[in-house]
Amino acid sequence: MTDSTESPDLQRRSGLTRLKEGTYGGFFAACAVITLLTTVAIIATLLSDALMFFAEVPIREFLFSTSWSPNPRGGGQSFGIVALVIGTLTVTITAAFVALPVGTLTAIYLSEYATSSARSILKPLLEILAGIPTVVYGYFALVYITPALKATLFPEMSTFNALSASLMVGIMTIPMVSSISEDAMSAVPDDLRQAGYGLGATKFEVSTGIVVPASISGIASSYILAVSRAIGETMIVVVAMGAQARMPAVRETLLGIPYINPTDVLLDSGMTITVAMVQIAGGDLTGGTIPYDAMFALGLTLFVVTLVMNVLSDLIAERYREEY
Amino acid sequence: MATDTDTGRVEEFGEVSRVRGIAFEYLSLGASVLGIFALAVLLIYVTIDAFDLANANPLWLLTYFLTLVVPFLGFCLYSARDRTLTRRAVTVAGGGLVAVAVAFTLVETFVGQVPRLNWQLTYLFVVIIPLTGYLVYMGARGRPGSVGFGMVGRLIGGTAIGLAFSVLFLVFDERLWFLAYTLGIVPALLAYAYGRLRDTPAAVTAALPISILGMVLAVFVREVLRTYPTTAFIYLWTLAIPIAAAGAVVVNGRGSRTAALTAGGVPLALATAVGLFGRAAGLGVGGPNALLVIAVTGVPVAAYLHRVFDVGEGVSGLGLPVLLVAGALAGAFLVELFGIPTPSPWVSETFLTEAPSRTATEAGLYPAIVGSVIIIAMVAVLSFALGVATSVFLEEYTADTGVVGALTRLLQINIANLAAVPSVVYGLLGLGLFANLLGFGFGTAVTVSLTLSLLILPITIISAQEAIRSVPDDLRRGSDAMGATRWQTTKNVVLPEAFPGILTGTILALGRAIGETAPLIMVGAATTVFSPPSSLFSKFSAMPMQIYAWANFPQAEFRYGVVAAGVITLLIILIGMNGTAILLRNRAERGN
Repeated sequence: MTDSTESPDLQRRSGLTRLKEGTYGGFFAACAVITLLTTVAIIATLLSDALMFFAEVPIREFLFSTSWSPNPRGGGQSFGIVALVIGTLTVTITAAFVALPVGTLTAIYLSEYATSSARSILKPLLEILAGIPTVVYGYFALVYITPALKATLFPEMSTFNALSASLMVGIMTIPMVSSISEDAMSAVPDDLRQAGYGLGATKFEVSTGIVVPASISGIASSYILAVSRAIGETMIVVVAMGAQARMPAVRETLLGIPYINPTDVLLDSGMTITVAMVQIAGGDLTGGTIPYDAMFALGLTLFVVTLVMNVLSDLIAERYREEY
Repeated sequence: MATDTDTGRVEEFGEVSRVRGIAFEYLSLGASVLGIFALAVLLIYVTIDAFDLANANPLWLLTYFLTLVVPFLGFCLYSARDRTLTRRAVTVAGGGLVAVAVAFTLVETFVGQVPRLNWQLTYLFVVIIPLTGYLVYMGARGRPGSVGFGMVGRLIGGTAIGLAFSVLFLVFDERLWFLAYTLGIVPALLAYAYGRLRDTPAAVTAALPISILGMVLAVFVREVLRTYPTTAFIYLWTLAIPIAAAGAVVVNGRGSRTAALTAGGVPLALATAVGLFGRAAGLGVGGPNALLVIAVTGVPVAAYLHRVFDVGEGVSGLGLPVLLVAGALAGAFLVELFGIPTPSPWVSETFLTEAPSRTATEAGLYPAIVGSVIIIAMVAVLSFALGVATSVFLEEYTADTGVVGALTRLLQINIANLAAVPSVVYGLLGLGLFANLLGFGFGTAVTVSLTLSLLILPITIISAQEAIRSVPDDLRRGSDAMGATRWQTTKNVVLPEAFPGILTGTILALGRAIGETAPLIMVGAATTVFSPPSSLFSKFSAMPMQIYAWANFPQAEFRYGVVAAGVITLLIILIGMNGTAILLRNRAERGN
């Protein structure tokens, strides 16, 4: 505390003091409103250019066409988001296979098994995973993970591929799952655990049979947030996954049932929504062209999807939270 | 007899299988360390590549191990003064050597060659570095250790901040700063000091308007006035002297007036001498930047020295910087003497001071580092000011009910959602709003800084709110009971208490900003620039942009050399920032 020389004013405040108070209050309120304006500005910016884009390219074509080539050499642009969605889904699902189980187990370990000293070491270390710049993760995937996988498991893998990018996205999102889930698990009252032990349950049974179900809403909301983060992840994919929008080859089994071989998608390059935006931005930015507007249409899609997921995650956490 | 009907259950009692539980515990432990382990391996490889350790002669490693690492570990153990710890450390170092050597040989014989790794390096990374980390932690608990690390931290931190300041003046006009300082800040400070000393509240109130008036005046005078002092004098007058004065005030508060004069005066004199006459005297260093660095480093060091001698404990810790420098010199001398081949690390002086190039050996990161420093400085100011103001409003000024309450809830939800918006989308906002609509230009420092400030604003606000919320309510009520207005309570009670927490949160958020790449690409920042930016509106690059650009180069020297060096530089800066933040937080927690 600083030494204050303001003498206490027990009578009515002077006009100057009131003016000063009002000015400061107004200034703080104005700063707070800036955050609101940011949201408005994001929506307005995205909408205005996206609307121009949809005036040129019908929404049907954007949503259902399977070919994405905003700047072809020979002419004949096409703006179909399907191939990009497949790329994004590939990355998201693969990353989820890494982040969700690992993150949940981490949360269980931290909240149920770890001693307090182990927790105080592990938690900051896990936070580091989220603090490494994503471009560095992308570089790791391209330069270390891909050659390692190529040398050992998948010799037919291409230099730019979805698998190593997805693995890195998964590792990056582990702390997101683990920290939110752990918060939820720590919030489960000890009475429930003691009741479990009283009934003769083992620690394993208490952890998986009592703590996890009791904190399921927190776990679910952490999953949604992690997936939403993976959808919006840009640099890892840009650096390590390449930039080729492609539809996976549909094969047929002996019985004639069509299927997609996951290795076709995972071991080859691909393009996510975010990569498509970066690719356009890397070229011409003067504005007014269709690819420029397409970037905003993609951004709008991304914004809406992540926003919906965040709101959903909030709702689940709020509505299904067990009150103790 | 009644239990006989239930015999089946009774017999199961006490025969619970532990296998499943133990397996699950270790599975979850494995999951917890999986990500950390993967990252550690990747970091080891990138370090090896950046410093060219794969080609390092084992003798070279041994020399520096003996001259630098062993004395340092010895210092930590000396500081910890714990026989068990010493015995344990020696056991780990010795046993680890044998274990790693044996394990490594076994792996190489039965599994196969491990790329770019030998047992010496494995020993270094698996045993020595974690051991060093642990011993530093233990050593810092002892007084000599904490003094030594404090000293080294001030030396390194001071140099880094001094260099960062000198970089800022590449884009900010130092003459305008000179005028603004002379006409705005000095009179305002004088008015404030006068008001405080003579108990004249009007003078204190007038300080802020005076400074604003002075700065506006400075902008006009800058248009007219043509003659200015040299850059060295400007730095001396506007930066070195106030820093020295601040140091003197701090020391004066703790000790005698003579000590204060020495603590402020000696570094100032040294900085002036080297800065103004260093080149002429043939010292090799000199000029305005040297003046700045010496002043920024010297004053805190002098103040710290005073405190250490005042307390009188752990004075021997002051030898740590000497020990490190001497160790490095001795290592270099021995390497030279025995003609041991030295590796050629990619992180080198050339790399840090040269412009990017198409040839790997000449490539440098300098313009990108400058760009990053400028962005971080601007983002720091913008997001700190906005973040603190917003969180003060949300925590201190709003009501929970009525229209204002509804607005507050809306703001809170909005902030939480903004924190989760993907960074590319912020890039589009910057592109559409700042670059195109407001005309700040594609990829200029202004556009990028504004975009990144908005990007980290939610994180800053959330952490600042937590810091403010953790201030006990008793303090507020006490202040209110003294008749303080809301602003007086906020200014005199809440903000000083919450300040360390707010600062920690802001630095952590800045760490996020320094690594962001996607928004920079979206607003059109250059991937490669060959000269540092000269104004806020010139094209410029940043470290992650340069890493992104280089990662696309297919040559092995770039992939496994230059980019690795860039990554290591970025990570070291990040670690430095986050480490500072954590130290601040720990100190604040200890203070409470």
